[in-house]
Amino acid sequence: MFHWLEKNPFFFAVGVFVVIAYAGLIEILPNFVDKARPVKGLKPYTVLELAGKEVYKKDNCIACHSQLIRPFKSETDRYGQYSLSGEYAYDRPFLWGSKRTGPDLHRIGNYRTSDWHANHMWNPKDLVPDSIMPAYKHQFTNAADLETAYAEAVTVKTVFNTPYDDGIKPGKEAYEARLKSKIIPEALKVAKATKREDLIKAVKSGKVPEVVALIAYLNKLK
Amino acid sequence: MSLEELQQLQVIMYTVMAGILVVLLYSYIIYLYRSEKKGEKDFEKYSSLVLDDELDSKLLDENLKASNDKKE
Amino acid sequence: MQSNASLEYDYTVAKWFTWTAVIFGIVGMTIGVLIASQLAFPDLNYLLGEYGTFSRLRPLHTNVVIYGFTLSGVWASFYYSAPRVLKVSMGESKVVNGIGKLHFFLYLIAAASMVLSLGMGITANKEYAQMEWPLDILIVVIWVLWGVAMFGLIGLRREKTLYISLWYYIACFLGVAMLYLFNNMEVPTMLFSGGVGAWYHSVSMYAGTNDALIQWWWGHNAVAFVFTVPIIAIIYYFLPKESGQAIYSYKLSLAAFWGLMFVYLWAGAHHLIWSTVPDWMQTMGSVFSVVLILPSWGSAINMLLTMKGEWNQLTENPLIKFMVLASTFYMLSTLEGPIQAVKSVNAIAHFTDWIPGHVHDGVLGWVAFMIFAALMHMAPRVFKREIYSKSLLESQFWIQTIGVVLYFTSMWIAGITQGMMWRAVDEYGNLVYSFIDTVSVLHPYYAIRALGGLLYLIGVFMFAWNFFKTATAGRRLEQEPRYRSPMA
Repeated sequence: MFHWLEKNPFFFAVGVFVVIAYAGLIEILPNFVDKARPVKGLKPYTVLELAGKEVYKKDNCIACHSQLIRPFKSETDRYGQYSLSGEYAYDRPFLWGSKRTGPDLHRIGNYRTSDWHANHMWNPKDLVPDSIMPAYKHQFTNAADLETAYAEAVTVKTVFNTPYDDGIKPGKEAYEARLKSKIIPEALKVAKATKREDLIKAVKSGKVPEVVALIAYLNKLK
Repeated sequence: MSLEELQQLQVIMYTVMAGILVVLLYSYIIYLYRSEKKGEKDFEKYSSLVLDDELDSKLLDENLKASNDKKE
Repeated sequence: MQSNASLEYDYTVAKWFTWTAVIFGIVGMTIGVLIASQLAFPDLNYLLGEYGTFSRLRPLHTNVVIYGFTLSGVWASFYYSAPRVLKVSMGESKVVNGIGKLHFFLYLIAAASMVLSLGMGITANKEYAQMEWPLDILIVVIWVLWGVAMFGLIGLRREKTLYISLWYYIACFLGVAMLYLFNNMEVPTMLFSGGVGAWYHSVSMYAGTNDALIQWWWGHNAVAFVFTVPIIAIIYYFLPKESGQAIYSYKLSLAAFWGLMFVYLWAGAHHLIWSTVPDWMQTMGSVFSVVLILPSWGSAINMLLTMKGEWNQLTENPLIKFMVLASTFYMLSTLEGPIQAVKSVNAIAHFTDWIPGHVHDGVLGWVAFMIFAALMHMAPRVFKREIYSKSLLESQFWIQTIGVVLYFTSMWIAGITQGMMWRAVDEYGNLVYSFIDTVSVLHPYYAIRALGGLLYLIGVFMFAWNFFKTATAGRRLEQEPRYRSPMA
C-alpha cells in the first residue's frame, strides 16, 4: 500500500509537503485573527522613532538585547510589567531578540533618560565600568535615514492601515513638509534632552544624527 | 466566525490530523516489516544503491521510461 | 546505449561547490572566532570602525556559515552523490549540467551580495533571514534552479528506486522553499512611498507576535531543513560508501525519515515558550520536542550500527572518525534540545549562552564534521588524486574535537550560571544581582569559548591546506577508489 513512495518522486514530494505544511497551517494561521490587535492607547511610531528603529536594526541591537519580558517575578522586578501581545502591533518586524548578553529593553524608556543614553552610546564604560558593550560613536556623526523611515510610515499607512495622520502621504514634497513641521522639531527636543552641544548643533543645521533618532525610539519603549 | 470558534476548530483539526498521521506512520512501519516478512519486498537490498553506484553497476530496478527514451 | 562503460560521472559542479565550502568555511568561522573574542575582550570591537562591532558582525557570521559554508557543502555533496545513486551522469544532459552551473554562478553572486549588504547594515533583521527583498528574490531563483536540476536528474535516472539520501534532499528542497517564502513576505517601501527613501527597504508583512510565530516557525525549521535533513542525506551516502558497509537497517532509515518529517515542524513553538503565543501551542512545542528524540536517534543509531563489526576502521581511517563522532554529536544535541524545550528548563536557559552552546555542539560537531568528511571523501574522486596527508587529517580531528568540547562545556556553565543569577532573590524576595554582575561573571567562560573556537578554526585551516594540496599535489590515481579513500 505504500510501495509507490520509493519510486514515484512526484507523489513522494507531495506526501512530504503535506506532512510538513499542515503543522504550519494549523499552528499559525488561526492566531492571525487575534494577534494583530493593538492594546488600547498604543500609538504608531513617529517618523523619527521609525528612523531610530532603523538604526536599532542596522547596528543589530537584537544580537544582545531582547524586547520581551517574561511573566516571572524575577523579570518583572527587574524590567517592569511583562510584555503583552498587543504592545507589538506596530512592530514590523518584531524585535524580540533571542539572546540577552545585555539587559532587556522592552521598557527601557521608563527608567533611562535621553542624556543617559547619549553618554552610554558614546562610551558604555563611562557609566557601567564592567560593560562589554562596544561604543557606538559613529552614530553621533552618521545622519539618520529619515527619508526611508518616512517611506516606511507611508507604506504601513497605505498597506496595513496603521493610524497615521493625514500629513503622511507619498512624495518628496509631503516628506519635506513633514520634515520641517514635525520631524526636526521632535529631533531637536530629543537632542536638547541629551544636553550635548554637538547633537543640538547638528539637528539645528537640519542633519539628525543616528543617535538622536535611536534615543527617540528607545524613549518610546515603555 | 468568532475567535473562540476558530480556536476550537484549531484544536479539533490539530487532534484529527495528528491522529491520522500517527496511524499512517505506524501502518507504514508495519507495512515495511510485514511486506518483507511475506517476501513481497526486500528493502535491505536498497543499501547497495550506494555500494554499487558506478555508471556500469548492475541496476536494481531499471527505470524503463528513461532507457526507452534513449533507444528512440 | 546500454553499455555505459565509456561514460564517466561529470563532477564539475560538485567540484566548484567544494571550493566555495572551503572558502566560506574559513571566512565564516574566522568572523565567529573574532566575535567570540569580542565578548571576552571588548576592545576587539574597534578593529574595523563601525563595521567591526559584535552586533554588526554577528549576522555576517551566522549567514556566512549557514548559507555560505553549509549550503555549499550540501550542494557539493548533492551534485556528487545524487547522480551516483541515480546512475546518471550530469554530463549526459546539457540542460541539467547547464542549470547546475547557472545555479553555482547565481549562488556566488548572491553570497557576495549578502556579505556586502549585511556588512553595510542593510538588513530585514529577522534572524537567519536578514537579507532584504532584492536578495530574497535572487535566492528564490537559485532555489528553483536547484529544484530543476534535482528533478531533472531524477527524470533522467536509470535506477528507478530513489535512495534514502535523495528523500532527504527532496525534503530539504521543499521544506526550505515553503518556509523561506512565507517568512520573507515583505512589502518594498518603494512601491508606495512615491520616490522617497532607499529602494531596497521593506517592511515585514506580519507584525509583532504574528511575525514572531512565522519567524520561529522558520528559524526552527531552517535548522531542521538546512542543518539536519541534508546532513542526514550526506551521512546516508558517505558513511556506507567510505566504510564499504551496508546500512544497518534500511527500513529503520525509512521509518525515521517519516517520523522526522511528521514531528519536526510541530516543535518550532519551543522557541517562544513563556512569550505571548498561546499556551497550548507552547505545550505542544515542548511535547513534540521530546518526541523528536525518537526519529533523530533512529537515524543516529542506524549510522553507528552500520559500523558493527568494523570498528577497527575507526582507528584506521580518520574520515570514519569524523563521521562516527558526528553521529554521536547529533545524538548529544538532539537530546540537549528537548531538555531545553521543557518549560521549567527553558525558563532558565532561554536568552542565555546555553542556547549558542547547544547550537554549536550541533553545527561544529555534527554539521561541519560531516561536511569535512564528505568533502575529503570526494577529493580523491573529483581531483583523481590521493588525499595529501592522513596525519594532518588526524591532527585536525583531535584539535577540533577538543575545540568543540571546550566550546559547549564553557557555554553550558555560562548559560546556567547566568540563568540562575538572573532569578536569584534574597530572603526578602529582592533580586540579588544587578544585570552587570551576571555579565562580569561570564568573562572566564567567554575566554574559554573563544579558545575553543580558535582551536576549531585552526583545524579548518589545516583542512583547507590539506584539501588544496590534495587538489594540486596529491599522488595521481589511475582508478577511482571504490570505498575507502586513499591517503598518504
